[in-house]
Amino acid sequence: MTSWLRRYDLNPANAALLIFLWVFFIVFMLYPLGYVFSNAFFTSEGFSLVFMKLLFSSPNNTIILANSVNLGLAVTLFTTLLSLPLALLLVRYNFPGKGLLNGLILIPLVLPPFVGAIGMRQLLARFGSINLLLLQLGVINQPIDWLGGGSFWGVVILETLHLYPIMYLNLAAALANVDPSLEEAARNMGASSFKLFKTVTFPLMLPGYFAGAIIVFIWSFTDLGTPLVFEYREVVAVQIFNMVTDLHQNPMGYAFVVVVIALTLFFFYLSKRILGGGSYEMLGRGHVASAARPASVAITVIAYAVVLGISALALIPHLGVLLTSVTSRWFLSVLPSEYTIQFYKNVFSHDLALLSIKNSLLLSSLSTIIDIVLGITIAYLLARKRVPGRSVLDALAMLPLALPGLVLAFGYVAAFSATPLDARVNPVPLLVIAYAVRRLPYMVRAAYAGFQQTSIALEEAAINLGASPMKTLYQITMPLIFANLIAGAVLSFSFAMLEVSDSLILASKESYYPITKAIYALLGRIADGPYIASAMGILGLLLLAGSLFIAGRFFGRRMGELFRA
Amino acid sequence: MMVSVKFESVTKILGQSRAVDNLSLDIGAGELFFLLGPSGCGKTTALRTVAGFYTPDEGRILFNGQDQSRVPPHKRNTGMVFQNYALWPHMDVRSNVAYGLKMRRVSQVDKDKRVRHALEIVHMQAYAERMPNQLSGGQQQRVALARALVIEPDVVLLDEPLSNLDAKLRVEMRTQIKDIHRKIGRTMIYVTHDQAEALSMADRIAVMRRGRLVQVGTPHELYTRPESAFVAEFIGGTNLLRGTLEEVGDLLTVKTQAGIVRGKNGVKGMARGEPVFCSVRPESLRLKPAPASSSIPPSDATNELIAEVQSIMYLGDNELYSLRLADSTIVRAIEHNPTTRKAEVGDRLALEFGAQAVVVLPQEELGD
Repeated sequence: MTSWLRRYDLNPANAALLIFLWVFFIVFMLYPLGYVFSNAFFTSEGFSLVFMKLLFSSPNNTIILANSVNLGLAVTLFTTLLSLPLALLLVRYNFPGKGLLNGLILIPLVLPPFVGAIGMRQLLARFGSINLLLLQLGVINQPIDWLGGGSFWGVVILETLHLYPIMYLNLAAALANVDPSLEEAARNMGASSFKLFKTVTFPLMLPGYFAGAIIVFIWSFTDLGTPLVFEYREVVAVQIFNMVTDLHQNPMGYAFVVVVIALTLFFFYLSKRILGGGSYEMLGRGHVASAARPASVAITVIAYAVVLGISALALIPHLGVLLTSVTSRWFLSVLPSEYTIQFYKNVFSHDLALLSIKNSLLLSSLSTIIDIVLGITIAYLLARKRVPGRSVLDALAMLPLALPGLVLAFGYVAAFSATPLDARVNPVPLLVIAYAVRRLPYMVRAAYAGFQQTSIALEEAAINLGASPMKTLYQITMPLIFANLIAGAVLSFSFAMLEVSDSLILASKESYYPITKAIYALLGRIADGPYIASAMGILGLLLLAGSLFIAGRFFGRRMGELFRA
Repeated sequence: MMVSVKFESVTKILGQSRAVDNLSLDIGAGELFFLLGPSGCGKTTALRTVAGFYTPDEGRILFNGQDQSRVPPHKRNTGMVFQNYALWPHMDVRSNVAYGLKMRRVSQVDKDKRVRHALEIVHMQAYAERMPNQLSGGQQQRVALARALVIEPDVVLLDEPLSNLDAKLRVEMRTQIKDIHRKIGRTMIYVTHDQAEALSMADRIAVMRRGRLVQVGTPHELYTRPESAFVAEFIGGTNLLRGTLEEVGDLLTVKTQAGIVRGKNGVKGMARGEPVFCSVRPESLRLKPAPASSSIPPSDATNELIAEVQSIMYLGDNELYSLRLADSTIVRAIEHNPTTRKAEVGDRLALEFGAQAVVVLPQEELGD
């Protein structure tokens, strides 16, 4: 054995696991991405930038790109404005009911904006509830065209209301990480509250802020469901979605996807540059006493007002969905005039709705099983073994956090067409794998956290007393990390149930539609389609809320870590 | 069964460094043997090599002459007590202790009996139903000990078992562990960085530094006859006077900047003119009023150096003096049972110490 190999724990079992993981990642992540790149840059005559030139020279395309960038920037800006006060209030002050408010802030995360868009459309329509209410109150005397201008603002509002919790989690973590003694030092030197924030606190928060901002930007930049429901077609995501169908005639789809990947990579590179600068590492902390202090009555009132106000705003779209789902008559009135639960019954009798629920349950269960197996294996190798290429394995397992579902699904359709996995023949295998890959980071993180909390000495103690490594895994390690595994699996499952972009792109035939694609299809049908879709949306929403609640019970305060970059 | 443990030129490389470097040791059957050294000296690595968690990169580990180097840890029959106890939080005390017996497929009746007995030895029989998180640190420590003993291991391995306890409990547990060792008579290898723990408990001690063995011996041998300035300093603490070896014979004569020092003891093979340290323990220094004339030649058996008092620390049962010699070296002296104060800060005193109390050692760089 060479000394190079001796540095690693490479027994045949570990090596086999490692090879298996590498093959999986290469086939289902690197190859599809590489395929997209090669099709974007290679014509039959070899390397060429012709598609890129075409992309950027067409005014139509540049408008589409600009729309998406603007969308991303606007959502990032608005989420920042909403979350910064929330973070400052909730991290810096203690007051009764703080835990409850903290939970309230996270709720919008469980409400897919794609579903919310249905309700929003209802509320913001030309003769929708909002306009009617304003007309009745006499604030306006003509309906406002809220969704005009290509519905840009509708998309921005919905995505902002969906994504601000992610920004909040990152800002709150960044703020909590600022060593209180650094601020005390600035105070001691005579800095006023505002000066203190500007010169010390905010600069120290910046890395955490960028981490959140990048997730929010990429998320809104590549969100497919919301613009589709708003019929706002002049964005990159929708363009890519449309191009999937004629992928072999029109290589522009590849070019668009490459732009998305390049932009994603650029932002993550930027974040690593900012985060990895290292100079902001907190040097030796004196006391890690919480910087939170008791809030005065005034501050408490403000905190409640801000949190409740923002949460109420965030719930409006979903209130719309809820109302739509129980409406039997809603025409030219602020609220429906007659209610019914007929559509919930229909969900379970309507062919497409019922079928899609069955499909989603099957697909998500399979993908969750894959995630459990892969997640535990990867986390185990990362946490317990010195294996070659450890950091690469880590990066690959986390890549799906940065990899938009849109890109992955597009890559799958393209790379596996005319293979046994062709999504247009039977999308089930690729749907399962896409769900699994997309949610793998949650499982890896959950299991990794479990391994880390479980001291390796606990395993060594068992081995020392005569337990074989396998027995140790079953009797000691697994029971100890079980809670983490459950939490990770619940999250993986419920997010897979409501996966939007991969489902829309990959599920090619109605008989394979998962819930999200069925909702989208139903929305386009006249008669009771939108109502059944709303009812399904509400059911999905309850599922996600329920599972996040369960996961939260297991994770406690560490929950937020799952949504950070 | 009583088992002897032999380290045969064991080297273990961790990362870039030789954590254990060519270590050879013979640990007798039934011995309470200590591995002592500052943190990072390789003592824990050596212990984990005995348990089998590390495979030696060079050399072998033998139990009763049988090579164990390739035996996986779960087949070695060693009982280890971990520094943080490593009690499984999802099992109660009884299940924790019974675990090793379950692995050995001991019959239920026998298992119950042995678990009860092991818990009795450590005075924890009343806590069998408790979960580990309901126990104090000292109680957890005892359960960990019972868990290691119950399997009747060939060797008991203890990795800094007392380091997480408070000072008072730590001293109590020393006696208890020594009692248990006497009762069960098994070979024990005990790792610590606490020299007082090692001195008070060990049959023999191996002092390690930077992965290497520095000296092996009984506590008394190590304290009275250190073979290096490092050992003299690390075990018990000492004063090291820098000088040059002038004469070698029955007495070793050393010329220091503060005066001539004669020593009875020294390491063999030192040559005249060699730079040396004279090691004198603080309790060997007697404080006397300084003589009027400053240059009294010392007699053969007694050394006398003039010093100025820098500080005095009153500790109740003794008084700790810090004094400065003529060459600015600071020495410490202990005055036992101080009734009246012998001197004040700034006073000049004579330090008297016998040649018997001086060990002459080659100069070396100190620290970890």
